Amino acid sequence: MSRLAKSLSYVGLTVALGLVVEGHAEEAGNFGYGQTATAEQIAGWDIDVRPDGMGLPPGGATPEDGEMLYEEKCASCHGSFGEGVGRYPVLAGGEGTLTEARPEKTVGSFWPYASTLWDYIHRAMPFTVPESLTDEEVYATTAYVLYLNDLIEYDFELTQENLADIEMPNKDGFFFDDRPDVKARRCMKNCKKAGSIQITSEPEVSEDADSGADEVVAVEQPAEGQAVYQQACAVCHAAGIGEAPIPGDTAAWSPRLALGRGTLIESALNGKGIMPAKGGQSQLTDVAVIAAVDHIISLSAKQ
Amino acid sequence: MGKDNSSTAILLQAVAREGEKLQASERRNFLKQGLLLAGGALSGAAVPGTALAGDNNLPPNVPPWTKSLGSGVLTNPYGKPSPYESHIVRRNVPWLTADNIASISFTPLAELSGIITPSSLVFERYHAGVPAIDPAQHRLMIHGMVDRPIILSVDDLKRFPSTSMIRFIECPANGGMEWRAAQMDSLQFTHGMLSCCEWTGVLLSTLLQEVGIKKDAAWVLAEGADGSHMSRSIPMDKALDDALIVYAQNGEPLRPEQGYPIRLMNPGWEGNTSVKWLRRLEVGDEAWYHREETSKYTDLLADGRARKFSYVQECNSVVTFPCPEKPLTERGRYEVEGLAWSGEGKIKRVDVSFDGGMNWRPARLKGLVLPKALTRFGLEWDWDGGPAMIQSRAVDDTGYVQPTYTQLREARGSSSIYHKNAIQTWRLHDSGKVTNVQIS
Ligand code: HEC
Ligand code: HEC
Repeated sequence: MSRLAKSLSYVGLTVALGLVVEGHAEEAGNFGYGQTATAEQIAGWDIDVRPDGMGLPPGGATPEDGEMLYEEKCASCHGSFGEGVGRYPVLAGGEGTLTEARPEKTVGSFWPYASTLWDYIHRAMPFTVPESLTDEEVYATTAYVLYLNDLIEYDFELTQENLADIEMPNKDGFFFDDRPDVKARRCMKNCKKAGSIQITSEPEVSEDADSGADEVVAVEQPAEGQAVYQQACAVCHAAGIGEAPIPGDTAAWSPRLALGRGTLIESALNGKGIMPAKGGQSQLTDVAVIAAVDHIISLSAKQ
Repeated sequence: MGKDNSSTAILLQAVAREGEKLQASERRNFLKQGLLLAGGALSGAAVPGTALAGDNNLPPNVPPWTKSLGSGVLTNPYGKPSPYESHIVRRNVPWLTADNIASISFTPLAELSGIITPSSLVFERYHAGVPAIDPAQHRLMIHGMVDRPIILSVDDLKRFPSTSMIRFIECPANGGMEWRAAQMDSLQFTHGMLSCCEWTGVLLSTLLQEVGIKKDAAWVLAEGADGSHMSRSIPMDKALDDALIVYAQNGEPLRPEQGYPIRLMNPGWEGNTSVKWLRRLEVGDEAWYHREETSKYTDLLADGRARKFSYVQECNSVVTFPCPEKPLTERGRYEVEGLAWSGEGKIKRVDVSFDGGMNWRPARLKGLVLPKALTRFGLEWDWDGGPAMIQSRAVDDTGYVQPTYTQLREARGSSSIYHKNAIQTWRLHDSGKVTNVQIS
């Protein structure tokens, strides 16, 4: 079918099914699935803000308004001065570090637009309860973070009208992707100067790798069936506690063995009756439990 | 193997160690642990039979599974891997992020075959945890500069004609820890923010045609339904090219950590643009410059300026065998293997060097060679038991040649964090051990 014929037949289908929505469904699309989004529905989800201020709601607040709020809702992770607690992001400082070996990219030193800050706090912060701040509170915390970066005065009122005019220090620091920026050549023979190949860096723990190797062997040995049995299973099975079948009691085991090794393994892994999964020792690997089951089977099977 | 008290003691220690949680704050300890895990995988799984130490199941003996019945159908209705493969898991680097909610985990590339990443092992990256979304209550809203703003249910979306494509997805921070110097002695951590799946869904172009875009529309904002409301501005060219609204991955519904019930997929582009848990697409005439395209995911250069909207994941490759997790065990012939990929198109060729980039040999491309997909390569090599510096270098069908660290740093400095696609060097020691190095 040609593309045109195909789309025409879809239009026919939507008409036949009575799905054409008020307006110009035929012109807008070929399928007519879904509902038209109402202005009210869109307003509930349309949260984005652009550098030109598009999307900002009415309102405004000063850093002074935001100080207590920031202390209460943000400082536990980002620090009272935006210095960051632990590995949580630093929000202030870092001016002039972008060319240094360890640049500190913050709202003040790196972000090109203030709108991004309003948008992000509104959409994603506070981290554990996003979208919990009122628009006024977003203006207030945005203003406070800008103030922590010395970008506005303590009594400056940040508003829907003036937010787009805030000049961020690094506003001209970005350029559109112009890669490929590296031109490598596909050389096949004698591509480097003889003797020029030197190791320039290695992970700092490389030297310890050998000492680690011995321990590794120990980690992989636990699938020793008898040892696992002693440690995790014997507590019930050796004495028949809770009517746990005793290994070697062929009468007790023969109907169970008839279920097949696979089923016994699943019982031991997932639990059965009062026996908990893995005998209650969830830290055991599946392989270790399988080895214990094989140990039990070897003691219980009729020779 | 003795069945005495000392083996029990070893066992108990081992069990205790297995149960231990990594100390989140101790980077150094973690690195050691990583080595243990890597080495553990090899000593257990690479030598079949040793797992059941003490039981001799090898010929002429007959193992227990041959003399008994296995478990029945539906024992595991959704299936699970063999317990003997339990070391094949995603892992994370605790000191990278403040917590595990806005964090990342890595695909165990050394353990995978072919080019498809099983859904369970696709690397994870999210900013507010994995939301538990009821698909019946999930909606995709498309609005802005369109003729007819619409709201689609997941079922509505699935009625549109669908398409499937095998494409890689990679976080632009993949290997970001290596920009300044070699740091991680593990393929999983140097390259594991990388996966490749078959993705099924509806082309975004189909939906944009459905709503009708207005004349000056140039960008589409994609936004997630998770707590971070992850948002990225996508240029209209990409939206009308191969961007896909995905609901299935490797034949099954998307996994929750991959964006269930629907996500955006921008083939070949940095993973964060493929917004998960997609709830909204807004068409506009300008970019939004949100946090994830200003503060993050911009590439800072040595001169202090930063590249923005650097979407494409350029041509890259890595040797997956041998690697730190998969050392060599004895001298002799091996098939050296690896993966290559390019966000610009198909892999054209891959060369492998064993002497640190002095001389190169062309490798074979194996199996499917698809655009913007992982491509597997292989090359037979006789190891004489001596040291080697193993590298791979990929070329894509635009002619772009994967660069060295030196070339990349000359162009960008070493503060870029993102888009590191430099040639990886694995140092093979005479013991067969493999470590991560950077060389001149
Ligand atoms: C529980 C800890 C926590 C609290 C409380 C919190 N944040 Fe955050 N904040 C984070 C984390 C974690 C991130 C990084 C998230 C990510 O990378 O996805 C972040 C990121 C940010 C960023 C972006 C930083 C950057 O450089 O990109 C800003 C701005 C911010 N938070 C502001 C705030 C404000 C304002 C508040 C109070 C209203 C707040 N945060 C409360 C944890 C927190
Ligand atoms: C808390 C006591 C307890 C511990 C610990 C325990 N078991 Fe059991 N086990 C039982 C009981 C009771 C049964 C019988 C369950 C039934 O049939 O309802 C049982 C049954 C079994 C069976 C037979 C399952 C079947 O399908 O008939 C196997 C195999 C078994 N245990 C293996 C193990 C192994 C291996 C361990 C150690 C890893 C272990 N058990 C630890 C109590 C225990």
